[in-house]
Amino acid sequence: MHPDLKPLADRFVHYLAERWQTPVRVRTIEQIPGGASRETYRVRVETAGEVQGLILRRDPVSSLIDTERALEYQTYAAVHGSAVPVPEPLILEEDTRHLDRPFSVMREVPGCETGIPPLSAPPYAAVRERIGHNKWRLLGTLAAMDVDTLGVTRFMQAPEHPAACELDYWAGVIDADALHPQPVAQAAIRWLRRNLPPPGPKLSLVHGDYRSGNFLYNAEGEIKGVLDWEMAHVGDPLEDLAWSLDPIWPWPERVLAGALMPRDTAIGIWEDASGMAVDRETFRWWQIFASLKALAIWISSTEDFVHGESKEPILGMAGWVLTDRQNRILMDRLQPNSPHLYAEAPV
Amino acid sequence: MIPQPGRILADLAMKLASSVAPETTSNFAMANTGLISMLMLSLAQDSERAVANRMADIEDMKALFHSPDAEPAPGSDLRTAYCERGPTSLYLSEMDAFHADGLKLLIALHGWAEAHSQALDEAIWQFLRTHTERNKFDLPDA
Repeated sequence: MHPDLKPLADRFVHYLAERWQTPVRVRTIEQIPGGASRETYRVRVETAGEVQGLILRRDPVSSLIDTERALEYQTYAAVHGSAVPVPEPLILEEDTRHLDRPFSVMREVPGCETGIPPLSAPPYAAVRERIGHNKWRLLGTLAAMDVDTLGVTRFMQAPEHPAACELDYWAGVIDADALHPQPVAQAAIRWLRRNLPPPGPKLSLVHGDYRSGNFLYNAEGEIKGVLDWEMAHVGDPLEDLAWSLDPIWPWPERVLAGALMPRDTAIGIWEDASGMAVDRETFRWWQIFASLKALAIWISSTEDFVHGESKEPILGMAGWVLTDRQNRILMDRLQPNSPHLYAEAPV
Repeated sequence: MIPQPGRILADLAMKLASSVAPETTSNFAMANTGLISMLMLSLAQDSERAVANRMADIEDMKALFHSPDAEPAPGSDLRTAYCERGPTSLYLSEMDAFHADGLKLLIALHGWAEAHSQALDEAIWQFLRTHTERNKFDLPDA
């Protein structure tokens, strides 16, 4: 155990022992990199001779994404047990006396990877296409689910006009947080307002951050858990599809969406699983929106890094490096006669 | 005075990635050193070119504001006033402030051009392409 983590581990097991009314001992604790919206720890605890793996997610001092932890937890609870696998949610604790900040606890899904780099090496490289198939099949499955049956409308609002609602929110983030005028973002916002599509035929549970890096896959190419539901909302299912295909995620990979498979193959799998056909014109709107939303997150993280309490490197990295890349993607998506250096041409 | 701060920053970034990161004792620390290294490389590039790039952007924006296609657009007095001024000093913070003033005018002009002048709209997009390319970071693939 890293000595810096011992105080947190001690307080966490004290909390668990009180909650579970049984002695608890920490076997191991490690912080997981990449948790940009929550501090994430893998903890192995022993109770009554049994070892169990837990994932502790604590609110950070400052985050890439300002999210509502209760909503995320309730979403995990709603999706758990459905055809879309998620880690089992165990505890939501909003009382800050225990670990200084609110936190949640999930059951660990062992033996999996999440990131993009392992996809290009054994044993995962051999099952990359299978992972991709499962990734977009599950997203299509999520899109097909009825939001009332799933129960998410008990705690999420169903917007009358999902595209307008999302655009207003993320344009507002850019206006509030940009440290310097953003001419590409503003051009994108104007384009999106001019070309707003009508509400789609179906409202779905939108994950909000469905991309390579936010699901657990194994060496057999199975997806064992979809993670990070902090931006989940009821909306247009094309939002998730467009987000999952944005070129920022596998950068600088251009051909394989999510470093997994060609975009058109992914879209075909999604259409089969969702039972919906992708209208290319509407989809183009959501592609441009996805790039704008990502840019809004990077802009907001820059503001957090510069003015906030947290100096987490992930915030600074997003602020400078990802803002640059996302601007280039949006340029390609919007410039008349674009040379398409960074993003695919519309079909 | 010792010159070349950008190069020193870049060398330190490489040292951090190649020598310090492998010695860290957790995956979390290793990932953070990688992020810090990449961020330092980016800032090193920006520190070397910042003044030249801000000035090039400002000159390009002034050329757009002077163009005949821009004349009918609202705010011509503000654009004229901008074209007659320059940064108050070569301090980067002051150049950034002047650069920001220009971008605000450009954003307003672009909104007008989209509805009224295809030629100006395309010229502004070309500027945005040039601006984006000249300010991009050249980093190792990651």
